[in-house]
Amino acid sequence: MTATLAIRVATYLLVYDGLLALYLAGLLATPAALLAAGAVAASWWNEWLRARVSAGMGLALIGAAVLASAADLLFLSNSLLDGLVRLLLVLLLYRLFTRRSLRDARDAAFLSFFMLVAASAVTFGVAFLFVFVVLLVVGTWMLVLYHILSESERAPERTRIVGGARAALARPLLGLSLAASVATFLIAVGLFFIIPRVGQAALPLRTRVGPMVSGFSDRVELGAFGQIEADPAVVMRVQIVEGPPEPERLPNLRWRGIAFDHFSGWAWSVGRPSPMTLIRSLDSQFGIDIPRGGAPIVKQEIYLEPIGTEVLFGASRVLQLGIRADAVTVDDMGSISVPVPTARLQYTVHSQLEPIVPPDAGEASGAGWARLQGRERFLQLPPLPERIGGLAGEVTAGSRSPYEAALRLTAFLSREFRYTLLLQRTTRLEPLEEFLFVRRSGNCEYFAASLAVMLRTLGIPARVVSGFQRGEWNPYGRYFMVRLRDAHSWVEAHFDGAGWVTLDPSPRGEVDDTMPGPVSLYLDALRMRWYRYVVNWSFRDQLMVAGKVHDRVSAWRQWRLEAPEPGSLPRPFLPALVVLVGVVGLMLWTRARPARTARVVARMPGFYQRALKALARLGLSPEPDETAREFSLRVASVAPACGAVLAGITDAYERCRFGAATLTEPEVAEVADCLATLERVASR
Amino acid sequence: MRRLGGFLWRALRPRRTIRPTRDGWWCLFATFGLGFAALNTGNNLLYVLVCMLLGLILVSGVLSEQSMRGLRLTPVLPEDIHAGRPAIFGATIENRKRWLASHSLTFEVLGAGGRRAAPERYLYLPRLEARADRLLGWEQTLPARGRQRLPGIRVTTRFPFGLFVKSSRVVLDSEVIVYPAAQPVARDLLRPVGGAGAAPLRRRGRGDDLYNLRDYQSGDDPRLIHWRSSARRQSLTVRELEAETTPDTRLVLESMGRTDPRRLEAGLSQAASLAVHLLGAGAAVGLAGPGIRVPLGRGRGHERRILTALALFDPASPGALDPGAGAADRWTPVSEIRIGLD
Repeated sequence: MTATLAIRVATYLLVYDGLLALYLAGLLATPAALLAAGAVAASWWNEWLRARVSAGMGLALIGAAVLASAADLLFLSNSLLDGLVRLLLVLLLYRLFTRRSLRDARDAAFLSFFMLVAASAVTFGVAFLFVFVVLLVVGTWMLVLYHILSESERAPERTRIVGGARAALARPLLGLSLAASVATFLIAVGLFFIIPRVGQAALPLRTRVGPMVSGFSDRVELGAFGQIEADPAVVMRVQIVEGPPEPERLPNLRWRGIAFDHFSGWAWSVGRPSPMTLIRSLDSQFGIDIPRGGAPIVKQEIYLEPIGTEVLFGASRVLQLGIRADAVTVDDMGSISVPVPTARLQYTVHSQLEPIVPPDAGEASGAGWARLQGRERFLQLPPLPERIGGLAGEVTAGSRSPYEAALRLTAFLSREFRYTLLLQRTTRLEPLEEFLFVRRSGNCEYFAASLAVMLRTLGIPARVVSGFQRGEWNPYGRYFMVRLRDAHSWVEAHFDGAGWVTLDPSPRGEVDDTMPGPVSLYLDALRMRWYRYVVNWSFRDQLMVAGKVHDRVSAWRQWRLEAPEPGSLPRPFLPALVVLVGVVGLMLWTRARPARTARVVARMPGFYQRALKALARLGLSPEPDETAREFSLRVASVAPACGAVLAGITDAYERCRFGAATLTEPEVAEVADCLATLERVASR
Repeated sequence: MRRLGGFLWRALRPRRTIRPTRDGWWCLFATFGLGFAALNTGNNLLYVLVCMLLGLILVSGVLSEQSMRGLRLTPVLPEDIHAGRPAIFGATIENRKRWLASHSLTFEVLGAGGRRAAPERYLYLPRLEARADRLLGWEQTLPARGRQRLPGIRVTTRFPFGLFVKSSRVVLDSEVIVYPAAQPVARDLLRPVGGAGAAPLRRRGRGDDLYNLRDYQSGDDPRLIHWRSSARRQSLTVRELEAETTPDTRLVLESMGRTDPRRLEAGLSQAASLAVHLLGAGAAVGLAGPGIRVPLGRGRGHERRILTALALFDPASPGALDPGAGAADRWTPVSEIRIGLD
């Protein structure tokens, strides 16, 4: 591959890398990305196109593109970023189609770098890492190639190339370029973790909204979850950073979102919103509630994808919230929201898990739990068919406490009803009536709504909660992967002496809960690490790492003071010592090897070797002490027919070998002619 | 105090200077811009890109230093440098590193303007292997005779990314003696020594006239091959030339050359041209003038002696005459050519 072709290939790789970055960031829709990729591919043959497109037409096309870009930037685009991205594309295509020199190719590569800059503003995906690595490796290669060629072309009338640029494109230079990109990557990684995050950005950058999820707004109709409960997209990752040693064994773990108290017969809503805005403390913590009883407290680190809702999720009951936001809103049912619906959020939650409920809960006031104030609000019911209340009474007949009645109802629904995502209405009855008496199957919202309504008919305060089930446990990253299909509704009922208790009547037995394969889990763990250590790397993390390093150093100093033997090394140093010995050994071995320089410099050109081979057939070979010119003269005296052509070949040979010159195209052709003549004469 | 300052400057001045190229300025500008954006938004992916640019800059510095380190330039100066005549200068660049090659080295040959002027020409070496050397050559013209300091050359590299130019100090700026310009000699100048200054002798030599034809022998100058005879005889034949002789000559510089510098330089150039021509023809040549007395002599060494005396001739401070200098050739019959300097 020639150097010019290599630069061209590198340029196009970089351009496609930039386009991929824009596509992955959602800044280019699929049709637009395909169109742009096609246009970029067509620009490879720009000379062919330039020969067929008149100058006037070219100017008209450029003018139209400029006008369209200006109009797009000023009036049409949804955001400034969208407009700038399209302008970038227009500039890129212009540069590629009008490409004539090395500098144009270099400019196109720079534009592709700015595509990555644009993409970095709106993407958080781990794919950015791969795009970045491609940019680094190919970009380094291109910069080195561009440098070598541009140096050769600089001020040609005053510059003489010693040797020839082709010599510089040998394999070692490619290796060097690769090594440079690896070194750059390592330095970049080191700097990334060290550079202090002193920025005061209170809110994370906004990103593209993923799937808009219904079911987490102030008002949710029955069946709203039906559309998303088959979607496997991961929307949340929850890592238990403090708490029990085996979080995957925690029972009844759910991620609580929003609670509803008002039922209209077909929709749940927040009937009496009483939001309270909390202002963050100096350490970005928001106190939500206080611990009660002796139930364990777990700290979760949650990464929530933008799903178009302001609701924050966490294990029930949330005590403390840590998030980079100026304020959060909490209502009197414990629903927490933050006004960044399009942002990808990372926050920590301290939650107190639910205590074991005594069987007589609801009969008398327990210590620490006041009787529920405003309980009428949680007993509200729309006009309902009487047979719903009748069914509740029938199921709970003989219960000794409200809590036992609630458990009976929960078990009844779980046992007698079937979970399904097929929610077609078949009658004109009220939705709950149809669910309980006709269809006898539905999704979690129907189960939760039925239980809450039946509890209310029995005088037990109840509310419906929307959130997520605990999701799949990823053993590689040790976190819960929560998918859209884990969206869930359940019921919280209030029992005097126990407080709000979670009741989940939904069986969810028929949901496709197949576990992902190990590769999928590993990739997701990689994604999680990317989010954790790159996207969300913060000043607090830096302080934490600095503290750990300080502790290690202190421990090492302590170990040195208490070392049993003066010469012994701590275990972590042994691998480093082995590596060090290996490196030193390699250096010594390399140093001891003879230099390869002479062999490289003294290489004989192939055409002269062919000439000698042809003359050898005539019995003419150079003597050991005979120079090429002397040999040429001797051949001329012995075989005059070969003398003239050999003189030409000898001249070219001397220039190549001793003058380190590169033959021009006509000279190569001339040497080839001479060689053909010589071989023809020799073959006679 | 000044000496102390000079010592400190020599000890502490950087061995290499570095400055950004135009692309380098763009890179720095982009780094600062992205850094500001990263700081302002707290977006870690922008930090990633900023760190990549910083990494590129660091790697660029390390690789360019590696390219420049361990290089040694040894001058290869021409034996004769004549004022106003192009001379071939050279230098051997040697990579003394044991296993690392140097890449993309540019040798900036400085012009008469010195180290602040734009280089007169560039030599570009894409790659120099470890423990290898390469001979560089270039043509340069020094305008005036006398002791002159060579403008020198500077080794620079933009390797690997073309973002920064790293330059060495100026080297090969040593002092040389530039002889007066030597030109072909007009016949009338040689009239005092017998016309063309050369009379053929009937013996083998290095003159112009044909003496004999003989078979080619290994080591013969290929330019002496007589192609027509070679073709006729079907074997290589070379020409043998007659030797020539020229009478011994003393060049005498008249007057001090203080009135007209141009006339002085023209006179010295004429003397140099005559000396070179006559010595080349095999004659013994001497030089006499105000403060100069070079006895008769032959050969390359004597030619340099005469040319050096002419190169260093200073009309403002002519040296004292040496009465014994011409004693050796006092009884030698010689022709004499007088050259006026005023």
